[in-house]
Amino acid sequence: MSPVLEVKNLHVHFETYGGTVQAVRGVNFELNEGETLAIVGESGSGKSVTSKSLMGLIPRPNGKIVEGEILFENQDLAKLKEKELQKMRGKDISMIFQDPMTSLNPTMKVGKQIMEVLMLHQKLSKKEAKKRAIELLDLVGIPFPDKRVDQYPHQFSGGMRQRVVIAIALACNPKVLIADEPTTALDVTIQAQILELMKDIQKKMNTSIIFITHDLGVVANVADRVAVMYAGKIVEIGTVDDIFYNPKHPYTWGLIGSMPTVDSQEEKLYAIPGTPPDLLYPPKGDAFALRSNYALAIDFEEAPPMFKISDTHSAATWLLHEDAPNIEPPKAVKLRMEGMAKGAGGDMNGDVNNE
Amino acid sequence: MAKYILRRIVYMLITLIIIATATFFLMKLLPGSPFSSIGAKLTEEQEAILLEKYGLDEPLPVQYAKYMVNMAQGDLGVSFQYNNRPVTDIILDRLGPSAHLGAQALIIGTILGIILGMIAAIRHNTWVDYSSNILAVIGISIPSFVFAGLLQYYFAVKWQIFPPSFWEGPIYTVLPTIALMIFPMAVCARFMRTEMLEVLGSDYIELARAKGVKSTSIMFKHAMRNALIPVITVLGPMTVSLMTGTLVIEQIFAVPGLGEQFVRSINENDYPVIMGTTMLFSVLFISIILIVDLLYGLIDPRIRVSGGKD
Repeated sequence: MSPVLEVKNLHVHFETYGGTVQAVRGVNFELNEGETLAIVGESGSGKSVTSKSLMGLIPRPNGKIVEGEILFENQDLAKLKEKELQKMRGKDISMIFQDPMTSLNPTMKVGKQIMEVLMLHQKLSKKEAKKRAIELLDLVGIPFPDKRVDQYPHQFSGGMRQRVVIAIALACNPKVLIADEPTTALDVTIQAQILELMKDIQKKMNTSIIFITHDLGVVANVADRVAVMYAGKIVEIGTVDDIFYNPKHPYTWGLIGSMPTVDSQEEKLYAIPGTPPDLLYPPKGDAFALRSNYALAIDFEEAPPMFKISDTHSAATWLLHEDAPNIEPPKAVKLRMEGMAKGAGGDMNGDVNNE
Repeated sequence: MAKYILRRIVYMLITLIIIATATFFLMKLLPGSPFSSIGAKLTEEQEAILLEKYGLDEPLPVQYAKYMVNMAQGDLGVSFQYNNRPVTDIILDRLGPSAHLGAQALIIGTILGIILGMIAAIRHNTWVDYSSNILAVIGISIPSFVFAGLLQYYFAVKWQIFPPSFWEGPIYTVLPTIALMIFPMAVCARFMRTEMLEVLGSDYIELARAKGVKSTSIMFKHAMRNALIPVITVLGPMTVSLMTGTLVIEQIFAVPGLGEQFVRSINENDYPVIMGTTMLFSVLFISIILIVDLLYGLIDPRIRVSGGKD
């Protein structure tokens, strides 16, 4: 299977008064057809910037792709001009944003906001576009779509608005859908509905999804593969099983260890010590070394390359080097991993149970 | 909606009665009498006859009651100065130039201001933005009569491009319009810039960009309407200040408008004309506020008034 989208050595910088912020520092990944790739990481790790650069939506002139390629359908999106990007946006690659309360234009009818994409990219007439908009509203599960199409966003609830945003994103059957924390601003019950909807639509349309989140529970629910980002780099990438049951990078251990579970025995929730590095002055060597209990001397000298663990799984940590001491993940993380393996029937195989 | 407008009109009437009352009694505090400024010296006897004729010898409450009853019937009385011409006549005569000048200044000023503000926002943090900002600050802080004087000096006296005063054709309107429109233009430009910057940073604009909408469509279809809402708020008070601005500007350019008449009537203690003009200004002010409120609903669906919901 050839990838739909391939990102190679992507570097994104922002010029600020304080200096150059190196938000993304060499990201590589590929996205296959019909799969969901989750990008996880703390705030400021570069997840959103990575996804926005795929669409050429980095705020200009401050933000800039300084290096790297974004290969999509035999062209490099990083080198396209704004005009060419406009033709691609919303049609081939589209995006769902975090906060549905603010991502719809308050002074424009919901239907018109959907029709706009259709008329722009598919050159539909007003009448055809409206008909299609009603169909789309129906598809994303909005009742009375023929009435709702003429209403304004303030007449919709948060979950309903996110459905509208999804309808806009899917209007032109995009090949890639980027969902930037689409459920973070929603109630937990609504979250589940929106996730179900996205999975459902993905199955129908065979869309590839890049799902950005910091909620590992959501990752386990929707993703096929996971990329863990830290300080502007992908530190570990693999299938959901690889990342949850066999994590190799100390940062991934930290993330999994700090995930609360219902049957947690410890009273205190584990947290990764320290704070993420300042990307104005990215540290030499492994950016996570300062916060890691397992840092080796070389971590402070040289950044680790990606070590391949299996065909699907690789991680950037010197611990995987053949000369490195054999270090086991901390006990808390091991317990957590065992706990997840036991309770796996629930989340991980959700799809099977539904069918 | 109809119910809402009706209720607002009732409030307007109450406001007008209060204004009429206040103006009536305040006006009586003006020094001098209506007939002291007439060229010929009047004997006491003659003055008494005149006072009686216009009902000015009666006690104030009686005068007030009579005036209010007449006004309710649409009769604003006759002027003390112009050979007993009805006040309504004088006002109608003078209204044309004032309305023309005011509307011209407001419309051109607002539109230019909005365009200037939008350009400043689009070219944020460039020399275009900075210079439009400086212009706006100048326009807001320097009163219109200073501009009026400067315009007259350079364009009429020195370079003789436009006539310096009077009101005898379109070309005569140029200088007073420019002098008058600088303030609304500056205010609009500043508001528009701030609002546009805020709107352009919002999520729905990013979504529109993610949809592949062209930058110009984003500006006009998505951003402008949202940025206009707060600008409309200042439009009301601005129109009001424009009206008071005309008082001075009409004096400077000798425009035969209401403002010029109003100032003269106050100097001459011409009570009926003062009252009539004040009432007209008040009606205009209050109507503008109502219109602005209704405009909101037109632009922002969230503020649309639903009828009968109290």
